[in-house]
Amino acid sequence: MAKHGGWAEKVLRVDLSSGRISTEDTIEKYKDFLGGTGIGYKVIWDEVPAGTKAFDPADKIIFGVGPLAGTGAPCNGRTAVTTLWPTCYPKPLVASGHMGGSFAAELKYAGYDAIIIEGKADRPVWISITDGKVEIKNARSLWGQGIRRTTIEISQIMGPEASVAAIGQAGENLIPMSVVMNSVSHSAGGVGGVMGSKNLKAIGVRGTGKVAIAGDKGEWEKLVKFHLSLLGANNQHVVPNSPQPWAEYFNPGSRWVASRGRQWGASQPGIDTGSCDPHDLNRIAYRTNNAAFYLGEKTWKYTVRGNGCTGCPIRCHTTVKVPSVSSKYGISEMGQNTCAGLLFGRSFFKTFPDGPRGETVIEACMVGMHIADDLGLWCNYGQMQRDFVKLYYTGKVKEKLDEKEFKSYSWDKYEKGDPAFLFELMPRIARREGELGTALGLGTGYLLERWGIPEPEWKEDKDLVYWHLGFPKHHANEDAGQCGVIINTQYNRDCQCHSHCNFVRSGLPIDVQKRLAAEIWGSPDAVDPIGAYTPMNVYKAKMAKWSVVRKELHDSLSICNWMGPWVASPLKERGYRGDDSLESMFYGLATGDKKSRQELDQAGERIFNLHRALTIRDMGTKGMRKAHDVIPAWVFKDPSGKPPLTKGTIHMDKEDIEKAMDMYYEEMGWDKETGLPPASTYQKLGLAKVAEELGKKGLLP
Amino acid sequence: MCAETGGTSLKQKDSSRETVILVTTNIIREKSKEGCFVLTEEVLSELVGRGFLESEKEEDRFAQASSILEEALNRNDDLRERKGKDGLSRYYSSLAMSEAYAALLTRKEEDLLFMVAEVIRENSAIYPRPVPLDIFIEPPFDLTQEEILECLGKMGQQAEYQDIARTTTSVGTVFLYSNRHLDPGHASMLAEWLDVGQANNP
Repeated sequence: MAKHGGWAEKVLRVDLSSGRISTEDTIEKYKDFLGGTGIGYKVIWDEVPAGTKAFDPADKIIFGVGPLAGTGAPCNGRTAVTTLWPTCYPKPLVASGHMGGSFAAELKYAGYDAIIIEGKADRPVWISITDGKVEIKNARSLWGQGIRRTTIEISQIMGPEASVAAIGQAGENLIPMSVVMNSVSHSAGGVGGVMGSKNLKAIGVRGTGKVAIAGDKGEWEKLVKFHLSLLGANNQHVVPNSPQPWAEYFNPGSRWVASRGRQWGASQPGIDTGSCDPHDLNRIAYRTNNAAFYLGEKTWKYTVRGNGCTGCPIRCHTTVKVPSVSSKYGISEMGQNTCAGLLFGRSFFKTFPDGPRGETVIEACMVGMHIADDLGLWCNYGQMQRDFVKLYYTGKVKEKLDEKEFKSYSWDKYEKGDPAFLFELMPRIARREGELGTALGLGTGYLLERWGIPEPEWKEDKDLVYWHLGFPKHHANEDAGQCGVIINTQYNRDCQCHSHCNFVRSGLPIDVQKRLAAEIWGSPDAVDPIGAYTPMNVYKAKMAKWSVVRKELHDSLSICNWMGPWVASPLKERGYRGDDSLESMFYGLATGDKKSRQELDQAGERIFNLHRALTIRDMGTKGMRKAHDVIPAWVFKDPSGKPPLTKGTIHMDKEDIEKAMDMYYEEMGWDKETGLPPASTYQKLGLAKVAEELGKKGLLP
Repeated sequence: MCAETGGTSLKQKDSSRETVILVTTNIIREKSKEGCFVLTEEVLSELVGRGFLESEKEEDRFAQASSILEEALNRNDDLRERKGKDGLSRYYSSLAMSEAYAALLTRKEEDLLFMVAEVIRENSAIYPRPVPLDIFIEPPFDLTQEEILECLGKMGQQAEYQDIARTTTSVGTVFLYSNRHLDPGHASMLAEWLDVGQANNP
């Protein structure tokens, strides 16, 4: 019988070397770290020694979910997959991939808060979890198969309700640029090769249990309804993209694309999305159509429906049906994905025969999704494609490939924008075949090293948006000026933080944003209009800290940071306010462990500081500010020659950014000169032992 | 005020004044959800169609409808009236239609050029951002490409619209802005971000 609500109270440990399967108590060992990335970082800190490589058997991979996974809290479908990151250059450091789908809920219903995978199997295996029954099974017949077939075969064994997280051939072949994927299209990038290195093809999980709610059920229902009332569309865009009768504002860049007359044209019969008044909670799922958002108006006719994660009404994975691709390319006419996954194929091309918004673009997306989501390839937020375009058009591909290999590609097809070219390129990446396939599968840092290209060259190029350590920027200065830049310096992969950009891209007028910003971060000056940035101030530093803390909180509670936090809402009667306390209210009611917003934020801060400590320990440096929290040269350049911090440019001023980092470190309680948290900060956050260990290694300021 | 009225399912035989007021209120609210104003004549026609107004004289029925509308407005804070340039009243419900949307519909009826300019100006002023020309094809604007270009052409010749300017993105999309609120460099950067950058930075 569970003592707490929320948690399943057990963590499953599977040692693939010995075959030993065991469980441990979540509350006893991990409660202070909540779940998700919190458990992941804790396991890596406690159990994976510095210097371990990503594909060493000593590396561990942790599938962690949080106390809100599998509850009725909206947007609770996220699983954090934490390990040493194989594309992190020049050495692997801790990071997490995040997948939606049904895996998180099934894991909870099966009775687990996390799975710690350790060691290495001596043959290909998969793990079957049905409630308390956990087995390591032979995967000989699955090895070499794509993700789709693997998912189907395991589902036939475990039943259609099972959630299957599988790797494709890319992961098996230890390609660093590979994913694990569940529920057709929900992937966690970068970790497929780590599973492959352990000979682990898949994890199938089926649970018939439930998640207990500790608090009053009526209060819980009220809170769920309240949260639903504050939801916008995907990325918490709270205004529609065209004028709607109920709406005071509209924003052509919004992902809230529903409107009377816009139909899911490939559903039978076609479904009109309607004007979607925000008070109609039964129509939240009609607001978002990410296929139409990314691929244009013509995609409405191909739209079947919105799909998405357990417990999420947003449905950001749009299902499309494009009949032409079956006959043209021999692939399924059905496809489903969102964001970078949706754009996987298109992004390899510079031009298309019918222009940037023609039908060929949609076909390229379909072909790219079909291949990537079966082979299990990862794009690193589009960096693989940006690298490829740059390398091809600057002649590097021709220079680095021998003549035979170069001629084996149909470059005429590529230059014309023929999606069929993807059948030549992508499988070779997954098979590590040839020089080009091998290099592209490594990740940017290792690719540049292999081809003798100085990394600074990549850091100069604004179009590449390459950041550092092998990863690209992810919502940096283009979204929230200095705040975005700070956040991008903090992780060992693209930061995947949406706390800040969900707010500044909400679609609300700048005066409304400033009013809300003043309430949350203490001053309207925390935010600026895009491209009209003002000099750094302490409120921007507070916003940056809040953003990373909330990201870690979400990744540990299993709340989607692609949606939250919910500080803005579509409700005029609330002055477009959301509620900054939703997380703590849900946490308290679910677990019975009442915490204020500030107390729960401190848990997020603890988790993030553990990530920082791990990074410091594994880098073995005291010079984090200069060695890790690096900002690429392109951030400080603008081809137009406009001075930084003037209207019409998003580029930053070096001196101002130094000041920004100073202010951020101060907010975090870190040493300004080194970027290291001092012992007192660790102690304040309940990480005294971490401080002690770093102290012994001379890694405190 | 909309091309298709799409009547409600409410069919009442009870013609007491209370019921008629309730029906009238519902007509306005339902039409507002569809993004439409309601004219007195439309209310009259609906009520007659449902058998609520039995007076034989057209002018009596119109007076009855006007009186019912007046009472509905007095009783329901959400029901609003806007007088058009033609002197006729337009009714809507603020529960289903925002003031901003109502203002947009009024401008659309009265002065297309002014409506286009005000949408552009408002976006430039309050967000700030330029807007793609194509938004005027969408409801509730419902203009054709030709009509939009004609509007812009006329604006170019009128002194009061000289603040309306254009910028074109790298993929050829035309954006419009008001130079009272956005300078050309900022407008051009924002247009490129909205048209190309944002979709490439998911």
